[in-house]
Parts: sequence; structure tokens; C-alpha cells
Amino acid sequence: MDLLSNTVALSRMQFALTAIFHMLWPVLTTGMAIYLVIVEGLWLKTRNPDYYRHARFWSKLYVLNFGVGVASGLPMEFQFGTNWAPFSEAVGDFFGSILGFEGAMAFMLEAGFLGIMLFGWGRVHPVIHYFATIMVAFGANLSTFWILVANSWLQSPSGGEMVNGKFIVSDYFQAIANPFMVRSVSHMFFATLETSLFVIGGISAWYILNNRHQAFFSQSLKIVLAAAIAVTPLQIYIGHLSAEQVAHYQPTKLAAMEAKWETSPAGQPADWSLLALPDESGQQNKWEITIPNGLGYILEFKRNLSEPVRGLKEWAPSDRPRMVGLIYYSFRIMSGIGFFLAGLMLWSVLQWLLGNLSPAKIGQQTRLLRTWIFAAPLGYIAVESGWIVRCVGRQPWTLYGQIRTADAASHLPASNVLTSLSLFAVIYSILFVSTLYFGSRIIRHGPNLELPIPGLDDQSAIETEPATFVPDQRPVEAQQ
Amino acid sequence: MDALLHFLPQVWFVILALFLFLYVMLDGFDLGVGILSLTSSDEERRSLLMTSLGNIWDANETWLVLMGGALFGAFPLAYGTILSALYIPIFMMIFGLIFRAVAFEFREHSDRKSLWNFAFGAGSFMAALGQGFALGSVIEGIAVDEAGHFIGSTWDWLDWRSLLVALTLIQGYVLIGSTYLILKTEGDLQKTHFRTAKLAAVTTFIGAILITIATPIVYEAARTRLFSPPLVYIFAVIPVLGVVLVWLLLRSLNREEENTPLIWTILIFLLTFIGLGLVVFPYIIPNQITIYQAAAAPSALVFMLTFIGVLIPIMLFYNIYNYIVFRGKVVGDGYGE
Repeated sequence: MDLLSNTVALSRMQFALTAIFHMLWPVLTTGMAIYLVIVEGLWLKTRNPDYYRHARFWSKLYVLNFGVGVASGLPMEFQFGTNWAPFSEAVGDFFGSILGFEGAMAFMLEAGFLGIMLFGWGRVHPVIHYFATIMVAFGANLSTFWILVANSWLQSPSGGEMVNGKFIVSDYFQAIANPFMVRSVSHMFFATLETSLFVIGGISAWYILNNRHQAFFSQSLKIVLAAAIAVTPLQIYIGHLSAEQVAHYQPTKLAAMEAKWETSPAGQPADWSLLALPDESGQQNKWEITIPNGLGYILEFKRNLSEPVRGLKEWAPSDRPRMVGLIYYSFRIMSGIGFFLAGLMLWSVLQWLLGNLSPAKIGQQTRLLRTWIFAAPLGYIAVESGWIVRCVGRQPWTLYGQIRTADAASHLPASNVLTSLSLFAVIYSILFVSTLYFGSRIIRHGPNLELPIPGLDDQSAIETEPATFVPDQRPVEAQQ
Repeated sequence: MDALLHFLPQVWFVILALFLFLYVMLDGFDLGVGILSLTSSDEERRSLLMTSLGNIWDANETWLVLMGGALFGAFPLAYGTILSALYIPIFMMIFGLIFRAVAFEFREHSDRKSLWNFAFGAGSFMAALGQGFALGSVIEGIAVDEAGHFIGSTWDWLDWRSLLVALTLIQGYVLIGSTYLILKTEGDLQKTHFRTAKLAAVTTFIGAILITIATPIVYEAARTRLFSPPLVYIFAVIPVLGVVLVWLLLRSLNREEENTPLIWTILIFLLTFIGLGLVVFPYIIPNQITIYQAAAAPSALVFMLTFIGVLIPIMLFYNIYNYIVFRGKVVGDGYGE
């Protein structure tokens, strides 16, 4: 099979596999860390022991998740060098620097304070412990920032130009503030937050539905629902803003996202494709369900297109993405989930306002709770689908418009890459199953509601100095 | 301007050496404890060993991530060439570290602790082996053309010299792991590690001597550089200092001192690093490409230096703070409750 001896294809598959696997874990650690900051803050403010127990319980899932995240993150740091050496040499000045910042500013901060967050309860002053939790959350989300800065630069390069195969930077800050950066960072930040909210919510709903610690988990469900009120619609809007940029800067990707073969001219409406079966060799869609005149509304909220939307046929096959079907459906899955979660939020808020989420009634909301449980993995699916659109849709470019993926790969024997790829596939499958297994064990076991509360249950506050002897000075009559 | 073009790559060479030294020292004892756990007799001991690392292994491993990123940004040519040339040992290290990392988390929740204890030990061993081969190959030299691109073959990294470095590195990790455990454990467990530390000190020393002799003998280029002033004075002092430090280490182990063995070991590691740095400098892809040839543009080096320079003391500070918070002997606490 040709694929097995094609180093570039194998390196691509390996990068896709390792990135997709790695992405699963930071998505939860970034969002859940913020949740932990909220819960610990509530504990410090209200002294309600339940908040402390929430912090301890969710930390268990956090550390399991974090471990696999770190393990799978290490290959990412080195893979640019092992499998993409020509690319590394060409863009290292900027791209490498940003990865260095991610390590030094963000990841090290998170790892440095994680020990205190997990094991430092009682060993350090509560304020210092809270500071540690904040640093973990800050570090984790700063990682999101730097990684997205780097990836956004790949999507919309700026701050310099290619000279003799190497990207020479003229303005580092312009490179950081590349066109995609703000919207991409925001979209990813809210993606991780939204995924975490629905994971925490889904797990909480499971407990409530199974009549375990109902009051305890109603608290967490309401916290995440409150956050979802802002996050779910905002994420849809930011998604729209991101798509706007794709339309402007990456027309090949937009065409693939919409399985659009023919160009639609400006000044007229165009149909929006809802479902289709793309036929790449025939450069058409075999069948299609469209929404008449919908494209203008989706892209620009108005009937007529102000700019032409170019179709895939405008480019030679070597200059536009392949696997159009994958990109097209990944986009629909991601957006569909975004709308679904917003809908779930609205339904839940309605029930909340009707008083159906009160302690007496929440256990009876079986359909709602089941939907929350169903929604728990959806954030992950949306995030991965989005990344597939982002990266597969960027092809044939690694640095959009400048460096082709085919030219970016290391010249290695295909057998080397096939071996490492196979090992990753096997090992990551084992890790995936194991993590789900151990995660479900933590959940089934449940929170420890007997956990002693620091500062309340320990004896350190009791006075241990011996009392000073003061002789009785009262007048003799009063001593009778 | 010329001075700057020289100075910036030199600064980054030193910073990378610093990150590498910190990594080898800190994750060195993590991996050393892991390798030692393979020889440990019972589950309870192994559990205690892992617990002693629980809160810090992660931050320690991060220095490796940091080094990778810094190498990428400061010497992109070297980053690409070295990593793709050493594809097999690097992935050996990566897979080893993956096993080591997940073993920590999974062990806590598993009924089959022995399986994950083994993963912890085997992963640590495999990571150390991969690192040793990589380090040995870099010191030996990597076959590149004038542009710095790899022109050798996949198995170039595997020969008796890099094997010697790998085995010595493993012994070095076992040594520093043992001295770390002497500090953090007590009773029988501590006593065991006085023994393992002594053995590892001797084997590491022998390995280091062999490597020191082999390097100038085998390499013409090293010979000319190292045996002429002023380097020859420094190069002559290092083995002498090494012998002194090893003697001090063995003496502290015989006296069953708790804190000093780790300190002597760290100094031995530091000395080794200085020696290696002198042998390699100014090459970053020995023995063809210098740091000046492989460096990113001066603006890139300044850009990175500004941010990372400020961050280095901050990172060191909170890492040290982490150790201070968890100072003292390991008690049999559960990991993560």
C-alpha cells in the first residue's frame, strides 16, 4: 500500500493522532481549573463545608486528567523536531519562541503550583493555597493562549515574510497579534470552558438522577448552568466571528467547509448547504439538501453576499484541501453541538425559573438530567471536530500560503514513522480506555463527605499555652 | 554589533545548558527512584517511593518541555536536525516518560497496583536509556552536511560509546535517586539507599572515567581544543575535582549523613555538565555546526531572552517554594486524597 511507504502521509497521521489524543485532556484541565477557583473561592467566602468537599472531589478527576494530558503533551513538544525538521528550521525563529513561552510562562507555572493545590491543604495558609489554585488555572489558560497564538500564526502568518525558504520576522508583536489570534484564542478558551461545564454538569446530573448526594451535586449543576447562560450563546457568536475570518483569509477552507464547488458572485444571494455528499473527483456534490438563499444570512446576516464566495473549482486540486467530506461534516457537527448545548441551557434555565430545580423537585427531572448526561461528551466531540476543520482545512499548507505540508516533513525512512505511529495508536488506545475506566471508578465511588475540614476540625486553634498563675486577690469575706 | 552576534548565541547555549542541568538533576532523581523501584522488594516500599515524588515529578519533567521549546526557538536548525537524526532514542524517551507519567495516576485508582508499579519502573528505565543514547550521540557527533541537515542513517546513534553514556547516565540517576531517598525516607528504607547510593557512586564514577578517557582519544577535534591553553587547565582540573567530590560523597554515605550525599551528588552532576559543555562548545551539532551557524536571527534571540530571562528567576523561585512546602520525611500518605 502506497500510504505505508509515504513518510509525509505517515507523519501527518501521527501528528493528527497525537494532537487529537492530547487535545482531549487540556480541554478539561483548563476549564475545570477555573471551576476549582470558583468553588474554593466560595468556600473561603462562605465557609460552607460543601464547597471544600467539591474542591477536593473534582480535584481527583482533575489530577487523573492532568496526568494523561502531560504524558500526551510531551510528544507534541518534540514532534516538530522529529517529524517536521525542515518546517522547524524555517519557522523556528517565531514559532519556536512561542512554544518556549508556553513552556516557561504557562506550563511551568501550572506544574509548579499543582503540587500545592493537590497536596498542600493544611500545609500552607488557606490564602496561599487559593493563590496556588489560581496560578494553576492561570497557567493552564495561558497555555491555551500561547498555543493558539502559534497555531493562529500558521493560519494567518504576519510580522515578516518568507526569504529563501525561511520566515524572517520583522515584527514579533505583529506576529503574535496576527489576524486570527484574538478570535481563535477566544473561541478555544470558551470551547474548553463550555466542555468542562457540561462535563461537570453531566456528572452532577448522574448523581442526582441516581439519588446520591442530591443536594451536594445540585450545587455544582447550578454553578455550571449559571456559567452556561453566558458561555453557550457567546461561543456561538465567537464561532461566527471565526468563520468570518476564515471566509476572508482562507477561502479554500471556507469552500471545503461548505462543500462549495462553484463560486457564488457578490451582490446576489446563494444557497446554504445543509447536508451533502461531496464527490471530489467529479468536483461536485452527488446529492445535496440546501436552504435557499441561506448563505448570505449565515455569513453576513443579510440576503445578498457582499463579496464573492469562491468555490473549490477555482483552485487546482493541489492548492486546495482534500477530504472535503470530512471537513464539511466536522463543521456541521461542531456547530450543531454548539446550538444543542445552548438549547439545553435554555431548557434548564426555564426549569430553574419554574422552580423545578429545587431540592424537592430536581430528582424528578429525569428527561432533563438524562439529557445533561448525554451532553457530557459533546464538548469533546465539538472541539475535535473544530480542530479537524481548522487543520485539515488548512491543507495543503502548513504555514498558510507559504509552506506546503509536503515540503515541511523530515526525510525519514517510512518504517521509522510507521513504527512510532503504530506504537502511539496502541498505547493511546490503552490509555484512553484506562482513563475512562479509572475516571468512572472515581465517579462511582463518589465524594468523601466525611473529609475533615481544615481550620474547623483540626485542633491547632486550641490554646495550648499554660495558664499563668494569678493568686486570688478577692477580700476574705467574698471567698466564703 | 559583531559582539552581539557572538554574545546572544552564547547566552542561549548557557541557558539551554542550565535547563538541561536542572532537568537531569530534578527528573534525574524521579527517574532514579523509578529505576530503583524495579529492584524494590515489596509493594509497600514501592508505594512509599512513588509517594515521595507525588507532588514534584510533574514540575520536574516540565524542565524538559521547556528545554525543547527553548532549543526550538533559539537554535531551530539544531532542534530539527538533532531530533530527526535521533528519532529512535527520542521516541524511546517519549514512550518511557508517557508510561512513567500515567503510572502515577492510574496506580492510585487501580486494583492491580503491581502492573502500574512496573510501568513506573520500566518507563523510568526506558526514558533514561533513550536520554543516554541521545546525549551520547550528540557528544559523539551527528553526521550533517554544511547546511546542517542530517545525512547519516537511522541507527547511527547506536554504538558502544553512546551505550556507555546511556549506562552511566542510568547509574547517575540511580545515584541521585538514592541520595534523594536518603533525605526523604527513614529506617530500613533509608538504610537500603545508603547501600544503593554507594554502589551507584562507584559505577557512575567508573563510567565517567571511561567516557572522559574515550572522548579526547577518539576525537581529533576535541583533542586539539581541550589540550591547548586555556582550556587545558580547566580540563585538567575537572577530573581532579571529580575525584575529590566522589571521595566526599562516599565518605558522607559511610557516615550515614542525611543531607550531604544529595548535595555532593548535585555538585558532581554540575561538574559533569560543565565538563560536557566545554567539550561540546561552540558546537551545537557536533562536530560540524556551531551555535553561531544554528542560531535563530538575533532579533529572535533577544525577543525570547527578554521574556524567558525574566521568567527564569520566577520559575526557580516557585519551584524552590514547592520543595520547601513539602520538605521533611515521606509519611505513608495516600497520593491525591
